[in-house]
Amino acid sequence: MRKDDMKPKPSRVSQILFLAFFLFLFVTTDYRGKDEISVAMNAFFRMDPLVAASHLLSAKTFTILLLPGLLVLFFALFLGRFFCGWICPLGTVIDLVTGWIRKSRPLLFLRGRLKYYVLFTILFAALFNMNLAGILDPMAILVRFLTFAFYPLFGFLAKSGWVGLYRVMGDARDYLEPGYGFLKTYILPFRDTFYPLALVSLLFFGGVLFLERFERRNWCRNLCPAGALLGLLGRFAPFRRMPPRLCTDCGICAERCPTAFEGDAHTKTGCILCMDCVRACTQGRARFSFRLRLRSDKAGARRFEPGRRVFVTSLLSGLFFSRMVGRRTAPQPETGLLRPPGVGSEGAFLERCVRCGECMKVCLRSALYPVSLQAGLYGLYTPMLVPRLGYCEYNCSLCGQVCPTGAIPKLPIEEKKKAVIGIAVVDKNHCLPHAKKMNCMVCEEHCPIPDKAIRFETVRERGYDGREIVLKKPYVVDAACTGCGICEYVCPLEEKAGIVVFKKTNRKV
Amino acid sequence: MNRREFLKYSGLLLMMSRFLGERAGAAAEPSVVAVAEGKDYGAITKRAVNAVGGIGRFVKAGNTVVVKPNMGWDRRPEQAATTHPAVVKAIAEECVKAGAKRVRVFDNPCNDMRRCYEDSGIQAALKGMKNVEVRYIEDERYKKVKIKGTFLKEWEIYGDALSADVIINAPIAKHHSLTQVTLALKNMMGVMGGDRGFIHRQIEDALADLNSTVKSHLVVIDATRILTAHGPTGGSLADVKVLNKVIASTDIVAADAYATGLFGLKPHDIPITVAAAKRGLGEIDLSRIKVVHV
Repeated sequence: MRKDDMKPKPSRVSQILFLAFFLFLFVTTDYRGKDEISVAMNAFFRMDPLVAASHLLSAKTFTILLLPGLLVLFFALFLGRFFCGWICPLGTVIDLVTGWIRKSRPLLFLRGRLKYYVLFTILFAALFNMNLAGILDPMAILVRFLTFAFYPLFGFLAKSGWVGLYRVMGDARDYLEPGYGFLKTYILPFRDTFYPLALVSLLFFGGVLFLERFERRNWCRNLCPAGALLGLLGRFAPFRRMPPRLCTDCGICAERCPTAFEGDAHTKTGCILCMDCVRACTQGRARFSFRLRLRSDKAGARRFEPGRRVFVTSLLSGLFFSRMVGRRTAPQPETGLLRPPGVGSEGAFLERCVRCGECMKVCLRSALYPVSLQAGLYGLYTPMLVPRLGYCEYNCSLCGQVCPTGAIPKLPIEEKKKAVIGIAVVDKNHCLPHAKKMNCMVCEEHCPIPDKAIRFETVRERGYDGREIVLKKPYVVDAACTGCGICEYVCPLEEKAGIVVFKKTNRKV
Repeated sequence: MNRREFLKYSGLLLMMSRFLGERAGAAAEPSVVAVAEGKDYGAITKRAVNAVGGIGRFVKAGNTVVVKPNMGWDRRPEQAATTHPAVVKAIAEECVKAGAKRVRVFDNPCNDMRRCYEDSGIQAALKGMKNVEVRYIEDERYKKVKIKGTFLKEWEIYGDALSADVIINAPIAKHHSLTQVTLALKNMMGVMGGDRGFIHRQIEDALADLNSTVKSHLVVIDATRILTAHGPTGGSLADVKVLNKVIASTDIVAADAYATGLFGLKPHDIPITVAAAKRGLGEIDLSRIKVVHV
């Protein structure tokens, strides 16, 4: 380690603070005894410039929720990619581990305009009402890794250890309760959840780290669409590094710089303002200062960056991704996509959802899971309710509270209780009282609607053994059912429930 | 009368005399159900418990006590789907006063455990009380128990209930769609693990089996307000009736039998109570139950 690395540098301090804050928010994005979550991970997505830009393009409306993201975009006009070097938690994680990864040579095919193709494909697809930003958004990648892969594994290991202690110590384990109780109350997940796409999320994140084998901040420099966007906006930012080129007698800046140097030119599209060059400069020449214009700008301004070809190609690929990959149109597809409570039309949802996984993290019954490919590329990582695994808790509105973009609306609890997710349907060929003439009624018992959406008729029948029996047979009152799924969840039949929730948006039929 | 008849009748007489003897013994010491009425729910709980001998009759110094309230649903106290926190707190206080080493309060709820513990108000009411634990259920504490029952042969029972010196069963009196009412006998389902929905198939036998295995030493039924319809979840205040009563008894069947009357029903209307009485778990006949109003 170099000497000057021992001194705390401002950008690193900022990074660590933001990462700590990020992890703190990750943990607080959960039910901790309060109906309201005052501060959640969504804070980071709300200042995510890519989320803000893609939302504006796809939903074509402004929401106050994304104001911080717009501010980041605005400041990028003056400061460039400060977000990447000072705030972005994925960038921080990369910086923290890259020292341990031995580098080979940069992958040249990543250099150049690849990141602009990625960025503009996302933006054009958004313009065509398909918001794919979340799939490659840096913070979404990190959050999904944590939510789907790391946190469940961490919780599972901690709990296995705790359960293992019980096997060894029995009730004497109670003496250790205070310590574990603290962990459990503040840090560990409440229940074990295993997510589909856990491995994919791990690979995504692992892939970003794997890229560090080739050069520092490889992802940030060559692929990250959020970074590309900020870099473009910051191209003419007046806050600049001087001198704009390497000095002829020394090349130490380029050696230390993680992202900005192309040959001997310092590029504003790459610079993340880490200021390593300033610290490295032995001559005191490298510095950052505000300068409105430079002579070299004029030449650059005439060049249409990132180029017409990028625009045209991205327009086509954006169109392609938004219209031609796996989207099914009417008649309504049977994808079984039960969306979180309050989500209205599927189209509006896909315009807004950033696939960050926060709703799935916060869902206190572990009812929400990421969609893999059952709805085409569009569905990837969007949330769906799987009633057999968990149900929507009647008095809970957390998913709407943490959604950064309002794709899941934040509803007052009384409204949320009425929000329709789907509709329960009794399968008379399977349901015990109907099919086997046995009393059950577990679904009706659990139905949380005050005057019950599942009711029953009491009938006297002759059982299959010839004896007369009194049977309570459940039926669903369509107008009252919200499709929360608790009936399907608690149905004591194995494998397939005797009552199943279907998506149904049109209640008049 | 020939020899065969003589033997038959004398045998029958012998059996009946045993039966009569038992009855006579029971009659000498009838099941007592104490009913306390008042607006201070903590105070009436204590009065009711004192009327059946006081907590000291059950809890000795150094005992581990399980108090099993109903906090099975994510509802607030006024919605009358869970035991009132003041009732639970009064019981816990009495236990601690009697020298209990540990008072454990838990339930295996049907909704999210955290929300149930929180919204029932019970967790908050007991917070900070010395020697009182309100712990979440931990799966590893369930133990498979052989049950000599007619329906249940083996089931997972919560370890804390098995190891307790004293079990105090503290349900709320509620309507229940399948079983008409849910009282103390059904409240014990909270110590069961596994797929509890399964026992709905033959719930009266299953609950008789369960209550023969895990016995309640004291039953305190919270009827400060009862849920008269749309049970066991309720949710609408229109279904709640305020009675300001707490019922205590050592006889679980007698307590349930009495509380059934609060709903305008007769004990024999409730198959769960009938099955438990048949199993010898207590007295169902109201005329044989001594009701003490305090």
